[in-house]
Amino acid sequence: MEYIVKNFGSYKLHMIKTKKFRTIKVRVSFRNQIKKDEITMRNILVNVLTYSSKNYQTKKDLIIESQNLYDASLYIGNSRYGNYINTDINMTILHDKYSEDGNYKKSLSFLKEIIYNPNVSNNKFTEDALNVVKKNALTSLEGLKEDTMYYSIIKLYEVMDENSPLSYRMCGYKEDLDKINTSNLYSYYKNMINKDLMDIFVVGDIDFDQTEELIRENFELKTFKKKRISYYLDEVKPRSKRLLAKEKDDNSQSKLVMGCRVFGLSSYERNYPLTLYNIILGVGSDSKLFQEVREANSLCYAISSVINKLDNTLIIRAGVDKSNVRKTIDLSNTQMTLMKKGKFSEEDIDKAKEFYSTSLDSMVESQDNIIDFYFMMDILGLDDLETRRKKMQEVTKSEIIKVAKKVKMDTIYCLEGVKE
Amino acid sequence: MKKISLKKLDLNCYVETLQNDLDVILIPYKDKNNYYISYVTRFGSDINTFVPAGLKKYIKISNGTAHFLEHKMFEQKDGVDPFTFFSESGTGANAFTSFDSTQYICYGTKELEKNLKFLLKFVNSPYFTDDNVEKEKGIIKEEIKMQEDVPEWILDTKLREGLYNVHPRRISIAGSCEDIDGITKEELYKCYNTFYQPNNMFLVVAGNFSETAIMDIIRKSLEKKKNTQSSIKYKKVKEPLEVASKDIELSLNLKIPKIALGYKMQESLFQTKNKFELDLYLYMFASLLFGPASNFKERVRNNNLMTNFYYEWETVNGYKTLIILAETENPELFIDEVEKELKNIKIIEEDIERIKKVWISNEVKTVDSIENIVSNIVYDQIKYNKLIDNKVDIINSLNKKKLDTIVSKMNFTNRTKVILLPNKIITKES
Repeated sequence: MEYIVKNFGSYKLHMIKTKKFRTIKVRVSFRNQIKKDEITMRNILVNVLTYSSKNYQTKKDLIIESQNLYDASLYIGNSRYGNYINTDINMTILHDKYSEDGNYKKSLSFLKEIIYNPNVSNNKFTEDALNVVKKNALTSLEGLKEDTMYYSIIKLYEVMDENSPLSYRMCGYKEDLDKINTSNLYSYYKNMINKDLMDIFVVGDIDFDQTEELIRENFELKTFKKKRISYYLDEVKPRSKRLLAKEKDDNSQSKLVMGCRVFGLSSYERNYPLTLYNIILGVGSDSKLFQEVREANSLCYAISSVINKLDNTLIIRAGVDKSNVRKTIDLSNTQMTLMKKGKFSEEDIDKAKEFYSTSLDSMVESQDNIIDFYFMMDILGLDDLETRRKKMQEVTKSEIIKVAKKVKMDTIYCLEGVKE
Repeated sequence: MKKISLKKLDLNCYVETLQNDLDVILIPYKDKNNYYISYVTRFGSDINTFVPAGLKKYIKISNGTAHFLEHKMFEQKDGVDPFTFFSESGTGANAFTSFDSTQYICYGTKELEKNLKFLLKFVNSPYFTDDNVEKEKGIIKEEIKMQEDVPEWILDTKLREGLYNVHPRRISIAGSCEDIDGITKEELYKCYNTFYQPNNMFLVVAGNFSETAIMDIIRKSLEKKKNTQSSIKYKKVKEPLEVASKDIELSLNLKIPKIALGYKMQESLFQTKNKFELDLYLYMFASLLFGPASNFKERVRNNNLMTNFYYEWETVNGYKTLIILAETENPELFIDEVEKELKNIKIIEEDIERIKKVWISNEVKTVDSIENIVSNIVYDQIKYNKLIDNKVDIINSLNKKKLDTIVSKMNFTNRTKVILLPNKIITKES
């Protein structure tokens, strides 16, 4: 795998050459500081952009063109990286060898069409497209509570810290939908295209020179000033007394989400010992939480923990019967306390290290994971592959204990299933 | 060991039927770091009445037994937890039960040989006790309750209840909380001894390895494993053509109404010998009518008639059923649109050619992921009982004339309709 990055001032082009794939994956990323009242606008924008364009006036036309290009499938989505909102526009292109000469080139022009040639006249998007997209968004916002775990996690963060980006709903807000019209959406679009930080990733069996030429041909070069705010959210001290919030719902199972603050970690601790701590505590079927809550006490089908390094949080999620909520919280707390006391073995650490090294080895088998890896390395200045492998191997038990002491349960949210 | 090339995909498979009749398929890659193994038995929730190995009379097992058995296979007499064993080399493991099979998988980048041997060993070493069976009930009940809270799962389950009169497909894979209360270790052993036998199983391995070395390990690991009987006696289900219920309506804890339609028809109508080819034609028909580039989709999208939409063809006991699921604020109007489309079928050659391009592209893309290639091969083994090495050629050969003939045989009068509507329970926040 060869990696070349070119900084053109207005965007960076990251090219990764690997012969492992029969497709070429292209990702165009735009990102800027997140603002709560702009999330809904941005969600609408990405859907409007993939609804139609100047040359493909309907969604049907757009899909037909992508199918003609050997299914140059497009997917697009917004996510939050700490203080930033990020839009990824992804296209998977079948290599010319398996399609026809020129398919790569034509597919990139199509990607350009979608990003830079939207269906706009008089500085406005079309009313039709906006109405369909807004109505769809409204319906899915109304159905938010149907995904009980997703809803519970959103509610946890809102209870945990309602003013922080941590609590921002990436699915958007109903009340913001009404404020969006064809003209302010276009202004927002112009702003994103011109002012956002931008990266382009290309992964596959590519020729560097040809790819650079094609990208420069299709993607505009404009100069602008780049903002420099940190990706990491400010650290917040855990509350002295744990907060418990509950809501009743007409479901059979209760969804329990325990939110922890991670406080006072060095960058090394965050990237290395914390990762191992989380794997031992709650990743996979061999973790402490899974073994104790599911296997030893039969309280749930699934329980796991996940860290967010940019937000300085760790959350534990489980689906349990309402009569077992208290017991699950206690058992989870006990597992965290045992880790603080160093009651885990060298074998646990070795297994966590093996898990991590397997995920590094597997990373190169997925184009999406390759892009994520280089993206994080670039924006957060993380270590490269070999350094990570080496440093993780050297993490000691005392370092993990030290980190365990800096993770504290802060807020618990329970969507109580009261259906008999 | 026989070499089979997957034509136009630059990939070779190696297949062998072992002396004990276990089919093995190996897919070696030169440029991958990872591997993926699937060990499969043709035992899923569709089987509930059979003669257990060594016995003479038919027994009917509890609903959800195949799934329960899958959970309990991870229990080992020597106390070694398979998850712990695999995690020592950072390897992942899992298992799934479906209507027609149960799969045990493991995937990772290290210790392929050791993990392969262990997978074969643990799936061939049942250890059920009253205590460990009892312990699992709490876990599985939470799994069932988790599903029961998902509106899409309810929609799916209700549709199958409506479509099938007596076939076990009308029962959910995991059964209900009451069903599993009755499951015993004796019942699990009967199922294990009948269905977890080499002549009812197969193994698929993909990754960076030498096919001769891996085949050798498999042969040696399983040489002592003999079949308990030469063939399994199943009770043949006499499922009538007519759907069990035409209309099902429920109100539930949801916000947006959901609908399901199932059009059940006899497979024999189509008079096509090649089952894979028939399925391609049926899916071609569905893609042309309801796919992302269809006129139907454009119309319902622009009229905001649906948010989520899904279709598939299901094969059960000599029947083919076209299933349509959707989330829509206006169920009746949406259903009218579907019916309108089915009454006025127009097929354009150019659209067929375009869909063929998409499908061929998908076949090529599948090869890039060892997980996807294994899943596809497992699916074909279960569904068609063979390795299909010329998929691209078959897709290329699809034509309008044959599609027209197949479409002319379709019958959309035998229908189940399910509508889920939001109820008016007011939830309290505190």
